Amino acid sequence: MKDFSHKIVQQGPGTQSMFEDETLETVWDIAEMGFTPTLAEIVKRVGDEARVRAVSLAGFIAIAGERVSLTPAGARRARDVVRRHRLAERLFADILDIKDYEADACHFEHVISPAVEEAICTLLGHPPLCPHGKPIPKGACCELYTRKLAPLVRSLADAEVGAMLRVTFITSPALQRLASLGLVPGATLRLQQKLPAFVVAIGETTVAIDRDVASGIFVRRM
Amino acid sequence: MEMHAGAPAGKSAEERVALVGTPNVGKSVLFGLLTGTYATVSNYPGTTVEITRGNAAVHGRRLVCIDTPGINSIVPMSEDEQVTRDILLAERPVTVVQVGDSKNLARALFITLQLAEMQLPLILDLNMEDEARDRGILIDTRALGRALGIEVISSVAPERKGLGELRRALASRTAAVPSAAVRYHDVIEDYAGRIAALLPPAAGPARALALMALSRDETLGPRLRCALDAAAVEQIERLRGECERAFVRPVAAAIHETRLRKANELADAATARVAASPYPIMQSLGAACMHPVWGACMLAAVLLGLYGFVGALGAGVLVDVAEDAVFGGYVNPFCTRAVEMLVPTEFLRDMLVGRYGVITMALTYALAIILPITATFFLAFGVLEDTGYLPRLAVMADRFFRLMGLSGKAVLPMVLGLGCGTMAVMTTRVLETRRDRLIATFLLALAVPCAAQLGVIMGMLGGLSLTAFAIWIGCLGAVLLLAGRLAAAIVPGERSGFIMEIPPFRLPSIKNVLLKTGHRVVWYLREAAPLFVYGTLVLFLLDKAGLLERLKEVCAPVITGFLGLPREATAAFLVGFLRRDYGAAGLHALRDQGMLDPVQTMVSLLTLTLFVPCLAHFLMMIKERGFRPAVLMFVLIAVLAVAAGGVLNLALRALAIPLG
Repeated sequence: MKDFSHKIVQQGPGTQSMFEDETLETVWDIAEMGFTPTLAEIVKRVGDEARVRAVSLAGFIAIAGERVSLTPAGARRARDVVRRHRLAERLFADILDIKDYEADACHFEHVISPAVEEAICTLLGHPPLCPHGKPIPKGACCELYTRKLAPLVRSLADAEVGAMLRVTFITSPALQRLASLGLVPGATLRLQQKLPAFVVAIGETTVAIDRDVASGIFVRRM
Repeated sequence: MEMHAGAPAGKSAEERVALVGTPNVGKSVLFGLLTGTYATVSNYPGTTVEITRGNAAVHGRRLVCIDTPGINSIVPMSEDEQVTRDILLAERPVTVVQVGDSKNLARALFITLQLAEMQLPLILDLNMEDEARDRGILIDTRALGRALGIEVISSVAPERKGLGELRRALASRTAAVPSAAVRYHDVIEDYAGRIAALLPPAAGPARALALMALSRDETLGPRLRCALDAAAVEQIERLRGECERAFVRPVAAAIHETRLRKANELADAATARVAASPYPIMQSLGAACMHPVWGACMLAAVLLGLYGFVGALGAGVLVDVAEDAVFGGYVNPFCTRAVEMLVPTEFLRDMLVGRYGVITMALTYALAIILPITATFFLAFGVLEDTGYLPRLAVMADRFFRLMGLSGKAVLPMVLGLGCGTMAVMTTRVLETRRDRLIATFLLALAVPCAAQLGVIMGMLGGLSLTAFAIWIGCLGAVLLLAGRLAAAIVPGERSGFIMEIPPFRLPSIKNVLLKTGHRVVWYLREAAPLFVYGTLVLFLLDKAGLLERLKEVCAPVITGFLGLPREATAAFLVGFLRRDYGAAGLHALRDQGMLDPVQTMVSLLTLTLFVPCLAHFLMMIKERGFRPAVLMFVLIAVLAVAAGGVLNLALRALAIPLG
């Protein structure tokens, strides 16, 4: 089981909202693993019984003796926090290629807005699981894409022939030459063939490129 | 004086009209329609880029039309684009006619917006209106004209549609400067303004230049240094760096994107889309040419057609008629008799109609052998070019050329090299990097036989067997690959990525193909015929002075010893330098005299195919690549050719393969 105690140390008195997030996340975590959340366990992990009780007073958790459970409002909020945390983990692990991402993910979950959360989720292709294999609660954006589990952003070299794609970013050193042919971030293209060379249509312009150039163009399905 | 030396002095009175636009939009066809047939082609000062100028009279107004190289952006990415930009800045045309592709309005407008920034009086001609209509794209030229603040014309150049309107627009003295402008991010606008304030009015359109500087346009440096003192240039460079930091994102990319967005907005507002009625056959045919399987079949069909048309018809039937019937039957006997009657000295008689005679050798080769072959080749090449097949061939060939450290683009000069290597060296300019151009030039000179030479070689190989042909092709391929790999390893730099626009697959316009073929044949005769004469004269003098015999003796150890060829073959290699095909024809004669056995035929053919390029080709290499690289290649090629021939000689003798 993960140790979240280090988080509390960094928090000052003005971060009640963050503390609430952490508490709710902990309750969700324990329940998700099939255990019954107890007050002792939660206090052990988040560190301050008085503040945990304050979360209860705010109406997010219900404390019945030793048993702690999420209220409907608390469950909604916990779900969002967990979702943001796990999306952040995926973002740091997969896209940014950061090894020690845990602490950053813990900060990140508190600060991103719903719009950013959705954008990250879409960027990652609405991933179903976090790097530890735990499910990522679905957001509104995911419902639209439940059948498309493939990552949305990937290199053109891995796209399917015939797909309509939108260019998200270009890492190829031939950026300028591509741009002059209309291949810029935001452009819509259709992949016509991959062999013997890649051929894409951007509007009425057809451009042939080799695999090296194609692997430096990142696209998402439309 | 203006900033660039390119502005011809003393011609300020003439009114110039510049045609600009993206490649493959029919600029040159429009140029031809405006100017008629007379045009002069010249290199732009200090560059290898060729510019065509021609006179046009529109409703009594005399104009000098300049056909500029195709551009994708005013911020130059290639020498061609730089020349176009320099023409616009330095030559101050009274009107710029931008030719755009109606199918691709946004891309045309992307350039329009840059021309607008340069404050150039502009007419926008949206060409290929028929192709756009077929795809269901209708453009409201009036609305677009209002949005841009200039006259917009739609045209179909090959059908002369819209030409009248364009001529009328050119006749009126007042082409408007576009009023449409792009508003960039505040930070960029701020710095553009500050840089513009540093530029003297004489330097040109300040805002446009400032934006070019912000776009990291390296080619602008010399221009700025020419117009400004060092402190101001430094100040601009400092402001550019500051803007870069203040803006966080790359400024060039942001400028590009903002322009593109504006172009897309303008295009969308002026475009209506209706149901398309495409030519599915042409489109599928175009796609088939790039298909891994069908493309290979198409390639085989094209090669077969090329062989039938150029090899069988050109090098076979037409050469037979011209050489045996026309020259052998009439011209040469007539000239010989005439010379014998009119010319008193034997020396001059020999010079004209002797063994190495100007008429009997040089003109016969040039007009009876070479002309039919090159004419048929250029005709076929013109058709392939106009259909849009060649870029598709580049797609097919990319992987093969990758093995030689090049990209598929190199297929264009290589295929043209099968027609004329000299012309092909010029087209290596389509390649992006110096490294690619260097390798392509080297391979062209080494292993790509030109049409005339190919015709003679095919004839000689045809007398042997299929095995002989396969061995020749195999050896050539192996040398090409080996030399390519070697060159790719030696020449510094990275292989540049393959990026190529594929134009729509079209039925070629017969008239345009014929016109192009005509130009090329004339060019060929002008370049080649004099060299034939000079070459023959040199040979004649060497022979008369007895030096030919001496040279044969000097080269004997290599020719007879290593290559196992008769001494007479030396002459073929020597003249091969004057014209490669000339050398091949020399071998042909030797073989007809029974002086070459099958192994010697093979060895001599391979060596000659690989051997040093002809004089014209070599001179072009010096012009395009520089003296030292060209000479280095020359030496390398001579060594490689002899080595390959020697190895083949030993191998064929050792293995005793029946050659027929």
